[in-house]
This record gives sequence, structure tokens and C-alpha cells, in this order.
Amino acid sequence: MHAHLSAARAAQSCSRGVRASLFRSAGILGCVAVFTAAACSSATKKASTTAPASGGAEVHVVNVTMTGDECVADRAEYAAGALTFIIENKDATGIKEVEILQGERILGEKENLPPGFKSTLSLDLSAGDYALFCPGAINSRVPFTVTGTRAVQASGSTHDLLIKATEDYKSYVVEQVGLLVKYTAPLLAALKGNEVATAQAAYIAARPYYERIEPVAEKFSDLDASIDARPETGQTIDQITGFHRVEYGLFTLKSLSGLAPVGDRLLSDVKALQARTSDLTYQPADLANGATALLEEVSSGKLTGEEEAYSHIDLLDMQANVEGSQQLFALLEAGLTKIDPDTATTIAARFTALDKVVDGFRDTNDPSGLRRYDTLSAEETKNLQEAVLAVHDPLSRVAAKVVNA
Amino acid sequence: MEGADRARPEALTRRRFLTSVGASGAAVAVGTGGFIAGRMSRPSEVQQVAGERESVAFYGTHQAGIATPAQDRVAFAAFDVTTADAGQLKALLGTWSAAASRMTLGLPIGSAGAAAQAPPIDTGEALDLSPARLTITVGFGSSLFDERFGLAKKRPAALVDLPVFTGDTLDPGKSNGDLCVQACSDDPQVAFHVLRNFARLARGVAVMRWSQLGFGRTSSTSVRQQTPRNLMGFKDGTNNVKAENSSELADFVWVGDETDQAWMRGGSYCVTRRIRMTIETWDNDFLGDQEAVIGRTKSSGAPLTGKEEFDEPDLAAKNMRGELVIPADSHIRLAAPATNDGQKLLRRGYSYTDGIDQRSGLLDAGLFFIAYQKDPRRQFVPIQRRLAAGDALNEYIRHTGSGVFAIPPGLGAPGDWYGKRLFG
Repeated sequence: MHAHLSAARAAQSCSRGVRASLFRSAGILGCVAVFTAAACSSATKKASTTAPASGGAEVHVVNVTMTGDECVADRAEYAAGALTFIIENKDATGIKEVEILQGERILGEKENLPPGFKSTLSLDLSAGDYALFCPGAINSRVPFTVTGTRAVQASGSTHDLLIKATEDYKSYVVEQVGLLVKYTAPLLAALKGNEVATAQAAYIAARPYYERIEPVAEKFSDLDASIDARPETGQTIDQITGFHRVEYGLFTLKSLSGLAPVGDRLLSDVKALQARTSDLTYQPADLANGATALLEEVSSGKLTGEEEAYSHIDLLDMQANVEGSQQLFALLEAGLTKIDPDTATTIAARFTALDKVVDGFRDTNDPSGLRRYDTLSAEETKNLQEAVLAVHDPLSRVAAKVVNA
Repeated sequence: MEGADRARPEALTRRRFLTSVGASGAAVAVGTGGFIAGRMSRPSEVQQVAGERESVAFYGTHQAGIATPAQDRVAFAAFDVTTADAGQLKALLGTWSAAASRMTLGLPIGSAGAAAQAPPIDTGEALDLSPARLTITVGFGSSLFDERFGLAKKRPAALVDLPVFTGDTLDPGKSNGDLCVQACSDDPQVAFHVLRNFARLARGVAVMRWSQLGFGRTSSTSVRQQTPRNLMGFKDGTNNVKAENSSELADFVWVGDETDQAWMRGGSYCVTRRIRMTIETWDNDFLGDQEAVIGRTKSSGAPLTGKEEFDEPDLAAKNMRGELVIPADSHIRLAAPATNDGQKLLRRGYSYTDGIDQRSGLLDAGLFFIAYQKDPRRQFVPIQRRLAAGDALNEYIRHTGSGVFAIPPGLGAPGDWYGKRLFG
């Protein structure tokens, strides 16, 4: 889905070509587990349980019932292979989750199952000792054993998938910062030229590469301050350097006057950023937190119209933030799908919905490809904010799921 | 993830939970309509068990927050459902139900011992606070009964869209909605906590359409409560339906067998009106006119024909000049059951202010009117039609927001959820 989306996007804009290949590399692994949530009828049918047996393609069922105090599984021993956990919350009122643990590692998770509802979680388990973890129950840990020959897994382990994701992200950051340097050079050239319109176009072309990896760049606060600062209350525009000093000259004053030295400094700063980010490494939780941080950027900087106060190309920045976040999620998606397929599906669907909202703001007549932010109505801004929050919320719970996986 | 450690704080919470359940369980038998009596009149054993955690029973025949003696504060919100997936909507209503059952006991909505890498499940501002008689009342607007979720045939005939009344100046952004949530508590932070967490639990499924905070109840809904004053300085709700009067509740508030929709039995209908007062003008009106507009004496609350607040208004009485003592266009005359085929409403409104209207420099303040009833077609609509056409008070008020919601009956026990019978 993402590979398809990003390919379509890449066709729209050459600046996004890199993303397609990365999405494809992350998208080759299919879902292993599937969740469905449904309201229970008052008479709950108990699914039949297959006796432990070695091998075979049979799917075995584990019935888990949550009540006000207890978390109960119908058996303590199961056969290796595909196991379907049918989890019913009868009357446990806290916002509930059930995890399937091996040691402290989360293999699978179902979150937010309200009383009166049930859901299923499918996992492929080999022989060993496991536990159901039901936070809040008196017996919060319910141990169970899997015996027999392990069914062959179709794809790599969750851990391997997540480690691969961190390596892919390292490449992504290197590529994006490389492109930032590449597109800052023509901006500098234009600032030293004599056409404001050319410089404006170069400014617009360079911005997304910083915004896609903004949380990484912000780790270097000295560079972030000189590249991306905006004047604070009491500061004048001459007290800042970087993109927004350029933006003010190009879009408010509509003049190249005095911008060449600012451009020189900007190019040297983004080159310094390139040097410092080239050997950064990441943990799976860093990726999840980065995805969340990018959406925070959207909510707190772009949707307020503060980021690009002179050019009003906030939607372009916002789209780049969202793409950066979506990229991080796409990299985590295969691993997350093994742990919590329900959440993975929800986030993917809500990113798609957010894409649709952003697509509604496209404007081929504008050099940024999107409408200027000051033309949006209050209702359009509200819809956008809602779509962002709808992704932000489940995304904010991903780090805890992948941190020990 | 440190599973064993995470379980510990929750285990403590669990015990506290059980204690609180016991307290409210005992109180159900004592109070009326599931209400735990106030500190003064509460049996001592309940007081000991519950300490200062005053809670109103959540489960019961009717939803709490209607016949419950009016708390001091309200946080009201309407939501629009944004998902097209009925399963997600049902899960949200299930989640809201579970969260409400805990918040009304003063408990956080989920495990207190969250993982360090995850945002806390509960936003936390009500931790350590008493629920302060928190009630959470949830309902469904007429717009929910369209084709999206296949509910068109389940729409009760009584869930009417209100007609346009004379003088209405309604803001669509402060009107209607697919779902409504009324959170009432004596503590404003506890009430707001409900809306904040409900909105968060709804992300991606429903969005808040409008909300209104109210301070200062403007009605008493129990004979034990003093009649409060609204922002006009007059006692309001003297002649209200009271929680102790079970025959009036049955006649005017609770939906019974007469309904065309079985899922609504035991429920009610809520009408909200955001009524802005032109406070500055009112404050410059002379006392005699203010009293003529309302039909009551400002200081005592007595009808102009009586001496005490609860004296029955004599709508026929005339003065020496042969004029009606309670003028023909006075508010209490037009709102009186005697003028309206004997119909009454259970009023449960609150004073509100949203600060200064920047365009005019005038206060945006008034009454957030909330009324519960058996059938708006026979109650709110004809009464308001009469008021809108002739009430002297109209000179000083503007209706700026409006809503009508079907309030389903109470939840029976954990595992039941708002609308289970509707969707069932």
C-alpha cells in the first residue's frame, strides 16, 4: 500500500523519488497476524480447543477471558505452530491490553479491548515457555507452555525486522541530508544571482529535505538554531540566520539584498549537518519516537502557520514532516505487524486518510504544489488537525511496543 | 518491558477499586436514583467506607446525571463520528462506557503503571481528586441515525430535529452532533477530565464538534437542594421536576412503553440550548421591570402574587388597575405547566461565560440550558414555541446553540455499553 502510494507520489514530484525505493524495501514482508474486534453476543460461544499435537498445519485456539480481577486461559499447554488467541473482555473496566511475552519480550499485543467485546490475535509459536500478561489483573502473568515441533516461519523474527528497519533509516537520513546539501547549493547560487523568483523556487525546493528528518537534525541544537530558527518575541529578523532569514528576504521584502552571506552560512551549516549525521545509528524505539516527533512538528509548528510565516508554504513543510513520519512507520510496520497487527493496520489506514486530506490541498498553479497556508479556512485547518491527531495517537504507543522486541 | 514491576501499582489500584465499588453498591439501596446522599445525610457506614470519595452509582436502570441532584459544574460536549466503520464506533462506545465506570469512582481510566516508553493511558489531572459526585451521561443525536451505520430504522420518532424558533440565532458550530457527553461534578477539573479523555479515546473515530463548560448550576433537581440563581440574579428552577418525585419522573422524564423504539425504554431526551444573555443591558434595567419580565421577586424568588419562593403563582390575579399581577408576557407565566397542557421539563442548566466577545467588548455569558424529558414533541418544542413568540425575556437573551439527543437507558453491569441495545 505504501509502496504503491509513494510510487504515485514520486511520479508527481521528482523531489520524492528516493522515498519509493525505501518504502518498497520495507513493504516486502506481509502480515503474519490478523486482528478482528467484534462485539460479543451475550451468549459467548467457546471456540473448540485442539489438543496439543506436533507439527501439522492445524491452527490451535487459546481462549483467554478477562474479568474484573482475573485473566484466564483455558489451557496451560499448547502445540507448537499457529496459535489463535481468542481474547474476550467480559467485565474488566480499565483500558485493557493483553500481551504475549517470552521472558520480557513482547511477541504479540492487543490493546484497548473494552468489556463486552472480544478480539483475536494469531501468532506462530515454537516450543518454549511463554506468558500472557494482563496488566491490572490479580494474576497479571499467566504462564503457558508450547510443546512439539515448531512450524516453519514464513519470515524473519520481529527483532531482525526491527534491526533491519533501523539500518534502513540510517540510509534514509544519509540520503535526505545529502539531498538537502544538493538543493541548498542552487539556492545559494540564486541568492547570488539577480532573480527573486528563481531564488524563491530554489527555497521551496530545498525545504522538504530538512523537514523530513527534522527530529534528527534537532539533535544538533547549535546547527538547528542557525539553520531553522525563527525570530522570537523581541528579536529582529537580522538577529537570525538560515532558512527563515532567507524566506523573509525573498517573500516579504522580495529582495535578494543581503542574502548572499546568509546563503553561504546556510550551505556550510547543512554540510556540517551532513558530516554529523553520517555515522548516527538508531534503535527501534528511536524510530517510533521520531515518527511521533515529526507529527508534533506538524501540530505545534505548521498547523499554527508559524513555520513559514513569510512564504506561507507551511503545507509543503507539513507534507515533508508527514512523509518523514510515514517513512519511519513504513520501516517499523513489518515488525510492528508481528507484535500488534491491529495497531499497525490502524496507523496505516489513518496515514492514508491523512494523505487524502493533504491531497485535497494540492494546487498545480503554486510553485510548492500546494495551497498557501493563509488561504485555508478554519474548517480546513480543523480537518487537517483532526487527521494528524488520528495518526499521532496510536503512533505514540508504538515505541513501548518495539523497545524490547 | 518490566512486566512484574508494571503490575504492582495497578494491583494497589485494584484494591482501591473494589473498596469503592463496595461503597457505591451499598449506597444504591440507600439513595434514590442511584445517588449517594450528600455528606450530611449519608449513613455513617457508607461515609466510613467511602471516606471523602463521593461517588454516584454508574450502573442502574437510568443513566446518572439526569435525576441526580445537580452538581455544581458541567462539561458538555458533542462529537461527530468520523469513521464509516460501525465496529469502530461500537468499540468506542464500549471504551467510553468502561472509562466512565472508572472515572465516576475516581479511578484513572487505565493501568496507573504505564510503560515509560508509552504515553500514560489516563491524562492524570484527576488523580488524587474525589470524583465529587461525577456523573457521565451519553446520548445520540439525530444525525447518527442516517445511512452510515444502518440505524435509520432505529431512530425514535421523539428524536425530532427542533424547528426554527422565532428569534433563533444559532451557530451550527455550537449545535447538534452525532454523540453527546454530559459530565457533571462538584469539581470542574474532574468534569473536564472526562471530556479530555473521551476526546482522546475517540481519536480517529469521532471528533469533538463543540463543547461548553458551565459553572454554577441554575436548577435544583432535589428537594434537598436550595434553588440557585442564574446570571440574571433570579432564582431558577423553583418549579422543577425533582429527583424525589418518582411519579413526575415517570410522567415527564423517563421513556416508557409508549416509545416506538424498545432500546430507548428507561432513557430520556436531552435538549441543550446555549442562551447568551445581553448582560450589560439587563443590568441597566430597573428592578420593577426585571421582576415583571421574570414574574418573580428578585430577592426572595416568590412569584409576584406570593410571599415565599414556593408559593404557587396565581396566574389569574389582577391588581387594582385590573392588570395581571404576573404579566401576560412574563417568563414564568409562559413557561408554567398550567400554560403548557401541564407539561414540565427536568431542567439541569448551568451558567456559562466564554469571556469577552471581541467584536463588541460585551460579555459572552448566559445560561447553558439543559433539559431532560420523555418526549420533546410534547414538552420542549411547544413550550419553547410559546416562549420564543411572546416571552418578555427575549429582549435580553439570544439562543446561540442547540442540540437534541436521545439518552439511552442506564448500563446494567460491566460488559454493557452505551447503545448496546441500539446496535444489538
